Parts: sequence; C-alpha cells; structure tokens
Amino acid sequence: MHQKQRKGFFVLSLLSLPILLIMTVMLTGAENAYGGNANGEEIYKINCAVCHGVKGDSKGEVCYNTNVEKSGKEITTYSRDFTLGVFKFRTTATGCLPDENDLKRIISTGIPKSFMPSFNDISPEEKMALIEYVESFSERWEEEDPCDVITTYMPNWVGKSYSVEKGKKIYQDMKCWECHGDKGDGAGPKADKLKDDWGHKMVPFDFTSGALKRGTAPEDIYITFTTGLDGTGMPSYEDTLGEDDRWHLVSYTLKLMGR
Amino acid sequence: MKKLVFLALVLSLFIVDTSDARKKKKKYEVIDVTNGGSITGTIKAASKVDDPVMKIETKKPDEVEFCGTEFQSNMYIISPDLGVKNVVVALLKVKQGKAMPEKDYVINNLKCQFEPLVGLAFKGNNFVIKNSDALFHNTNLGIQLKGGKKRAVYNLALPNLNQVLKKKIKTKGVHSIKCDAHPWMRAYVYSSDSPYAALTDDSGKFEITDIPAGTYKVLIWHEGFGEVKQEITVEAGQATTLDHTFSK
Repeated sequence: MHQKQRKGFFVLSLLSLPILLIMTVMLTGAENAYGGNANGEEIYKINCAVCHGVKGDSKGEVCYNTNVEKSGKEITTYSRDFTLGVFKFRTTATGCLPDENDLKRIISTGIPKSFMPSFNDISPEEKMALIEYVESFSERWEEEDPCDVITTYMPNWVGKSYSVEKGKKIYQDMKCWECHGDKGDGAGPKADKLKDDWGHKMVPFDFTSGALKRGTAPEDIYITFTTGLDGTGMPSYEDTLGEDDRWHLVSYTLKLMGR
Repeated sequence: MKKLVFLALVLSLFIVDTSDARKKKKKYEVIDVTNGGSITGTIKAASKVDDPVMKIETKKPDEVEFCGTEFQSNMYIISPDLGVKNVVVALLKVKQGKAMPEKDYVINNLKCQFEPLVGLAFKGNNFVIKNSDALFHNTNLGIQLKGGKKRAVYNLALPNLNQVLKKKIKTKGVHSIKCDAHPWMRAYVYSSDSPYAALTDDSGKFEITDIPAGTYKVLIWHEGFGEVKQEITVEAGQATTLDHTFSK
C-alpha cells in the first residue's frame, strides 16, 4: 500500500514536470505560438538585422543592392521596412497583410536580383519563430484580421498561341505598355518618373530580361497581376480583369520573357 | 491524482488561449445620445498664404492636350477673414455615441485630377472609385504615418473610361491618394471610426454634434499646415468652442 502510494507520487511528479516547465516557459515569454522553443529574436538578430535593422526599420548596415539590367538600366532594391507592415510579394489582395506562407517562401528562396539571400538552412520551426518576431515590428498583425489566400489554378491553354494573341490585346487595352513599354522592355512613356511609397525611384519590370524577383513560374506572374505590388506603382487587376484574361496576359508576358 | 494532472493540462491550455484573446481591440459602440454636446469653431491661418500652382509633366501627347500643363493646387483656400477650407477636425478614440453615417465615399478621376481633393469617409462604408477619363488611372490609396511614411491600403488599376470599383473602407486616419501614372494627381481622405468628424467650409467653420459628454482628444489636420492634437471637454447640452490658428 505504502509502496503503491509512493509510486503514484513519483508518476505524478514525473508527469507534472514537463507541464510545469511548459508553464514556466510560457510565463517568461520564451515560448512562441507555434509550440517551439526557437528564439525568433535571436535568429533575426543573427541573420536579418544587418540589413533590416535591429528595430525592423530597414536601417541596417547594408541596405540596398544595385543591379544593372541588360538594357543598361540600374535597378536599386532596398531591404524591407517591417515597421510599415507593407509587403510586395503576397498571395493576398491589395492592402492585405501577407499570409505566413508568403513570408516563409521569401525566407526560403530569397529574392533574385536583390540582396535578399535564401535562408533555407533555417529549420521550419525557427522560420515560424522568426516570422512571429518580424510580425512584432508592426501593430498591423495585431489589429487586422487575416485576408483570404488567393489560390491559383493554371488553365492548360496558358502559353498557347491564341491565348498569347488575346494577352497581347489585353496588354494594349489595360495600358500595361504605358509603363512596361510596347515591347515589354520597361521603356513606356510613364517609366521615368515613378517613385514608390518609400520615395525610391521605381523601374517598371523589363520582361525581355526574363528574370522576375518574385519568381518566373506562370503562377507567380498571375498572382502579381491579381494582387499588385503594394508600396509600388503596380496596381491590382483583380477587380478590373477576369481570371481568364489575367491568364491570357500571363501567356503574352511569358512570350515577352522568351519562356 | 490523474484528475489533478488532467486539470493542470487543461489549465495550461487556457494560458495559450488568453494570448489570442488580447489581440482584438474594442469596437465603436452605438448608443442613444440624449442631451449630447457639440463642438463648433473656426480654423484660421495666421496670415494669407499663396496657393501654389502645380506643373503637369507628361510624355504622352494626348495627355498634354487633355490634362493641360499646370493647375491651381487649391492647397490653401483661405477666406478674406483668414478662415481655412478643407481642414479635418475629428475626435479620436471615441468609444461610444450616435450611429455611423451610412454613406459611400466617391473618389472620381476627372480631367487628370482627383475629385474631391479632401473629404471624410466613415469606416464600414465603401470607397467608390470612378474613372471619368479615357485614360489609364490607378488609385493608390494609403494611410499617412509618422515620418512621411505611407502604408498601402488599395492600389487599383482603372484602365478604362467609366470604370467603377467598390472597396470596403477598413482603415482609419488620414489617407493620401495618388495616381502613379499621373504623379501630380493627389487627394486626401480622412477615414473616421466614429461619426464625430467634420470638414471646414469656405469660411473655415465646422460643427460636430450629438457628442456624449466627456473629454476627448481632437485632431486638426490640413494638407499644407500639418496637424495638431489637443484635448477638449464636451458638456451635456452645451456647445463648446474650438478655434485654432495655423501658422506656416
């Protein structure tokens, strides 16, 4: 009897130990919402702060990267200022916060033609902790409800010649050429004087260069037409163009890109 | 003993839950306002300010013809006795009061300008964005933040004449509107999360009515003069005066 009681007590203390530990960690705030113990702040300071700044305001040591296009045009990209809570590459509508998977993807793949490298060596658990820390720089993440993620299903006719022809007409009608140029080389009549919300000079994408910052899959191009690139002059065509028309435009721009 | 362990587990779940609960902020509550107070006043300029003429620069020949080469900015519309038009006066962080106005806010792209230049919108209604020109316009609307920063709210393409888009008004504060295709185009809309906001008229006068008695923070904002915030106490059934003079 006595023995049994002692055993029971032992089992209980064994069981309560992890619970106590979890509670202590929670109360001290080291635990993140995803149940992991990865320290987002630490990961941020080691990997991100050098460009994005300790306060997330993009005032790090190395803040920009200048890329010379084959046209000779210079494109300068700057590190994202997280305090604004504005992101270009989202799968959510214009004005929305990005989905967590959007941020996860950028961390994993990096952004070509910019200073943003791939951080694929960071474990999934650490990535989520890092994202949670990045979200703490803007009150938007606390104040706003998340937006729906826009799903894409590419029709099988994308890239077919009739779709390219339709896309060519849409490119004209939607006035894409005013910025991106008749030939898609980014030399339209509006191209010179564009500035983004951070006051930096904007260069409309030169499709003939073939390399998009977001990625060159047809789905990446489609989602940019749909969501626009917040903070820049690229508006959303979600309300202006039907889904099929946006895919026709993808067909045409793929051709411009030589893909 | 097992029950105790179970209880501890359930308790720990609650701790996780509360972290989510604190995220939501309290929304504006509609109540019957009887014997409310009001705020009236005049916003003035210390002295006459010249209204700048702005230039239009475009490389598209059809736009040179249609849009002209310059325009009166209407940034400083000041009456002979120095009243300033288009000043936003708004109570901030109002928790309860009369019902929100049900009125959509129209942003018109007309002759290479936004119409109106300054206006008031109320959260929960819609922005109705129109293109009245046979030109490509985009309406790039964002919240003005400290330090000249801007947070994008909507950036919408309106490539065609008579295009109309409807978008929910979800954000509050001073928003600036710009058209990237025509960099001289500009407008401002104050989006209020309470019905207690007003815009000054030609003589610089405004009135806000049916306010529950209490002390409020009030924002006074103008495109050119900037903004000030101050406290004001409203008494039941009384008209409180709020005058302000901007100087450059």
